Amino acid sequence: MDGETGKATASWESGLLAPVDRLRLDRADSPTPGLVEGTEPGAGQKSAIFYHAQSYEDLTAEAEKEAQRASEPHGSEGHDGEEFSTLVGKKSTEERLNSDTSSESRGKEEDVSSEAWRSHKKHVFVLSEAGKPIYTRYGTEEALSSTMGVMMALVSFVEAEKNIIRSIHADGCKVVFLTKSPLVLVGVSKTGQSEKELLRELQYIYYQIVSLLTLTQLNHIFQHKQNYDLRRLLAGSEYLTDNLLRRLERDPGLLLSAVTCLPLASSARDVVSSSLQAAKAKNLVFSILLAGDRLVTLVRKKDQFLHHIDLHLVFNLVGSSSSFREGEGWTPICLPKFNTAGFFHAHISYLEPASELCLILVSTDREDFFNMSECKQRFMERLSKRSAYQAMKEALKCPNYSVAQVGIPELRHFLYKSKSSGLYTSPEFPEVYQSDEEQERLMGLYQDLHSCLHHPTRPLRSFYRCSEAENLLAWVTSGFELYLCFSPMSTKALAVSAVNKLLKWIRKEEDRLFILSPLTY
Amino acid sequence: MSTRKASLTDKQAKNGTSKYVLERCASINEYYDIAFKVMLLGDSAVGKTCILVRFKDGAFLGGNFIATVGIDFRNKVVDVDNLKVKLQIWDTAGQERFRSVTHAYYRDAQALLLLYDITSKPSFDNIRAWLTEIKDYAQKDVVIMLLGNKSDMAAERVVKTEDGERLAKQYGVPFMETSAKTGVNVELAFLAVAKELKHRATQQPNEPKFKIHDYIESQKHRSGCCSLG
Repeated sequence: MDGETGKATASWESGLLAPVDRLRLDRADSPTPGLVEGTEPGAGQKSAIFYHAQSYEDLTAEAEKEAQRASEPHGSEGHDGEEFSTLVGKKSTEERLNSDTSSESRGKEEDVSSEAWRSHKKHVFVLSEAGKPIYTRYGTEEALSSTMGVMMALVSFVEAEKNIIRSIHADGCKVVFLTKSPLVLVGVSKTGQSEKELLRELQYIYYQIVSLLTLTQLNHIFQHKQNYDLRRLLAGSEYLTDNLLRRLERDPGLLLSAVTCLPLASSARDVVSSSLQAAKAKNLVFSILLAGDRLVTLVRKKDQFLHHIDLHLVFNLVGSSSSFREGEGWTPICLPKFNTAGFFHAHISYLEPASELCLILVSTDREDFFNMSECKQRFMERLSKRSAYQAMKEALKCPNYSVAQVGIPELRHFLYKSKSSGLYTSPEFPEVYQSDEEQERLMGLYQDLHSCLHHPTRPLRSFYRCSEAENLLAWVTSGFELYLCFSPMSTKALAVSAVNKLLKWIRKEEDRLFILSPLTY
Repeated sequence: MSTRKASLTDKQAKNGTSKYVLERCASINEYYDIAFKVMLLGDSAVGKTCILVRFKDGAFLGGNFIATVGIDFRNKVVDVDNLKVKLQIWDTAGQERFRSVTHAYYRDAQALLLLYDITSKPSFDNIRAWLTEIKDYAQKDVVIMLLGNKSDMAAERVVKTEDGERLAKQYGVPFMETSAKTGVNVELAFLAVAKELKHRATQQPNEPKFKIHDYIESQKHRSGCCSLG
């Protein structure tokens, strides 16, 4: 491993990333085009679609705040905020059990389950504060009730000492705890992921559950009946959590806290957006058009922003349920980053039964089904008259691009995220990463780089790493995050010059790869 | 299109005008004379979506259980006595957490197909609760039909046909056992409802009343013949 900070940046601070004539005024004025938030390739023109602070820290900060809050009443010693912004603060209890006791305690779990169950790389458990099982990724909740009881005991035991359990490290296993009253989430991982990454994933699972029930309802239920079996209300939704966990392993969007777009000529995208904009209704807050896991366009009510987490939850709902394929779906959905207290109602339908294009109309009114249905009709009528519909269907035939288009022979794959727009772009996986295992391995490498760049105490700005199968470069500025994967034959100098070339290419293609002019109603 | 219109005016001239028949509309590619909303209700996993898919596409959704999310709205146009009847069918999620959204659309429905699973006693026991809900939220004159689904699974049966019949009689609703897998009585269930609704909407004062109970009795296939004795 070879980490370095800041050093590499100097080489490209001098040059513009794209010919001046292609840059919009405000971008050209920037002293370091592309390096400052808002001027990087892919940054939107007017306003972002998402909340502005859509960084990765955004997700974990909350947990830290809560930890801080929880420990404050007992504030035993003076602390400065900085100390608390680190994940494993001094006050957090890090229980290090030796491998003996660990294998013993895990031995009890094995009684109810097989060797195969134990060998899963990552387990996720959700339980109530009364220790009742709510969700397990593998196996059945019933069989694990005693295990979850133990987990709850650990949480309570440490809490009784006026402290918070954050993680247990034992024998190549990380056990991470996230207490989000009235729920407790536990992740058990054998992957190399950092605690912070694992915590972030648990946070996603928490939001998934909240999106099904709202936090208000959750609190209400457990206030009235502490030992309520929440599975009763979550019945039939387990697959959503299962799928979300799979996405967390495979989808760069969840890693980057960003969303990717269907590559589409901006002229066509603008027509689609304006058609959606025209099909508005009183209670309509967001109109979202998806092509599989890619955003085609998103139109929102003025001053209302969608958080990328909420959007990923919508992606997960739509992608996991075949029941929207035909007909029109109507379902309550809580967007927890928008408001944990209430439900929106989403009208979900595919533009054509066999199409990948799915329209989601989010309304505030439960009784709005027919209004939303009419909005869709109006959108379809408008759209079918334009050539943009055809262009969109054409674009769907090749929803991805090859890394060869960039023209850097050693470059195998990359992830580029524009921070100000919250959008990312990435080419299809090349030949060498065709198998699922290889793709997951590459994602794992990106995850490693990501956690180094976002290390709670010693974040890196850039990072070059050589390994047997590939060389990797990661670089973060205030404007973007970039992860590149090169063939193992390439050199560091080559990688550094490739960044410049790639950024120029992205700038050239940004009209197509990103949504530069998001609309509001 | 013009010939279709002409034939309709002919028919109307014969029948006299009915206020409902005038609601003649053209959706994107299907013409219909009259539209009704039908809702599928019942516990989770009794086969509501399967019944709908069997009726709409003639297929059986085998394999894994896929829970419906919220409610799902689909259309099917059927012929009833030479009239194109569009059934707008609400397929609902059986899960408790979707109850409030289902309630909001009860009153729009003109007919309710209430399902239980003959291999699940709890789903049958809950029928009374469903009927109470229907009374609370649905229109007063809503057409209700009770269906015992999965009649093909004779070996796992725990609810006897007579139990279903008795319950249906008690509430005065028509009843039959269906199988989304084999298709037994599925078409009949929807068609009987469509017929009843069509008769209600277009009935002339001197025309004999359509009797849904009699119609079903004359048409339905009995599945559990042995238990009927």
